[in-house]
Amino acid sequence: MLSLSNQLTNLPKTGVITAAGQHSSITVLITKAEQIREQYPQFYQRSIAIRYTNLADFVTALIAFDGCCSAIYLRPPNVTIPHNDIIDWPLESDAAVVDSIPPRLKSEAVDSVATTWFMATSGTTGEPKWCSHSLLSLTANTKHSQKLQALCWALLYQPYRFAGLQVVLQALLSGADLVDVADYEPLAQMAFLKHADVTALSATPSLWRQLLMTRQLSELALSHITLGGEIADQSLLDTLKRLFPNANVRHIYASTEAGVGFIVSDGRAGFPAKWLKDQTLTVALKVSDEQHLLIKPQHHICQSLALQTNELGYVDSLDKVQVIDDRVLFLGRATGTINVGGNKVHPEKVEQVLLQCADISQAKVYAKKSALLGELVVADVMIIDAKVEQEVKQQVLKMCKKQLQRFEIPTKINIVKNIDHDPSGKLNRKPQYD
Amino acid sequence: MLNLEQQIKDAMQQVAELSDCQLVESINPDTQLLECGLDSLGYAMLVAQLEEDLGYDPFTELALDTYPSTFAEFLAMYQQCANNR
Repeated sequence: MLSLSNQLTNLPKTGVITAAGQHSSITVLITKAEQIREQYPQFYQRSIAIRYTNLADFVTALIAFDGCCSAIYLRPPNVTIPHNDIIDWPLESDAAVVDSIPPRLKSEAVDSVATTWFMATSGTTGEPKWCSHSLLSLTANTKHSQKLQALCWALLYQPYRFAGLQVVLQALLSGADLVDVADYEPLAQMAFLKHADVTALSATPSLWRQLLMTRQLSELALSHITLGGEIADQSLLDTLKRLFPNANVRHIYASTEAGVGFIVSDGRAGFPAKWLKDQTLTVALKVSDEQHLLIKPQHHICQSLALQTNELGYVDSLDKVQVIDDRVLFLGRATGTINVGGNKVHPEKVEQVLLQCADISQAKVYAKKSALLGELVVADVMIIDAKVEQEVKQQVLKMCKKQLQRFEIPTKINIVKNIDHDPSGKLNRKPQYD
Repeated sequence: MLNLEQQIKDAMQQVAELSDCQLVESINPDTQLLECGLDSLGYAMLVAQLEEDLGYDPFTELALDTYPSTFAEFLAMYQQCANNR
């Protein structure tokens, strides 16, 4: 497969990136990327971790290093690189690169390396898990046409996360423009979206609901609407279709681990049950006896999924589904993982923090359904001395604020007399709405 | 029994303290919800808190054509849900 750099060079037209009011044309970024490759020939076939600073520099680094480095790690802030033999980009100083490999000066060398892309996702214990992809698997659903080239995409996700990278690659490889509004509040986002005449927008259902609360969304002329990262419910799909009757409304099923699964564009929640028997799709789909969705992508499957993959190559997505008539509907995660507006929360991690409180003897963290954010985190705790209930709640909240991200902190702490365990002794973390 | 408006304002205050948000000094009928000081997590918590206090969640129960954008619209939505019961 051609490298990102060569694919962009072959496009009839490339777009412009706008971030914090600064415009950067992709043509200029391609030139900058070539300069980086020429300046650092020792990066050839090495592994590099890209620390995110701003969108233009991030995209320049992707163009420079795909097809040249053996591995690219997209490194979120506060995540350490997995081993020491990885170059940390941007460099702190030139001296930071120890050069033991003979230089390869020619930039035509780009394409000679099949680069593995690594993306981080949070693991059960809080340690990040690195999942491997290739440019081919990441762009399996990326299309190019004259119509797509005229679009202006908005970036509402962090570009080093799977959903954000999808938006960036789709915009780049279709020659469309891209406006970064990821770091702003909804009202400010709306102002930027209107100013840039954005026509294509990809966001989680929770973000869409927030944009709807601004009551200004209909002022945009959206032709491409994408939902992902959470279960897309029918009422939201209907609202968006009513506001934008001519738009292409799609919801995407994807994960950082398994990549893009499939896209549903018929305006209905879930996906057609006939897809479970369709052999012509890019992914094969099945429902297991435990009602988990099994997927078999065409592309390479990340090593981290080996334990979840059966002998026929189907990966257990650990998403619970239910077949109702002609539709397969999503119910939530089988693992108890909570999805707060697209942010993954591992109950085990939150329980560990709660149990640090000396007055708490047992803790159970689970999901409560929310019409605005999909799910919220709730905790049941058993305390040793009932007289200190209020103190315990305050103390726990303080500890949580120190050790957890905001969306991980229980929105409600219930003091209970009993916590259920299943026969194997495991906590029963069924969501409150099951 | 407190009136609905006061109950919502009390719940907002409670949620703001829990979620480390700073509410604006006075909330009027035409105050934009997104400018009250609560963020998306704060709103989701507010709706959950009110569901517990009042026993209903208009976002789930009503077929909403539009999402509330001002405090008056938010209150009207809860009022409508209460009247339907």
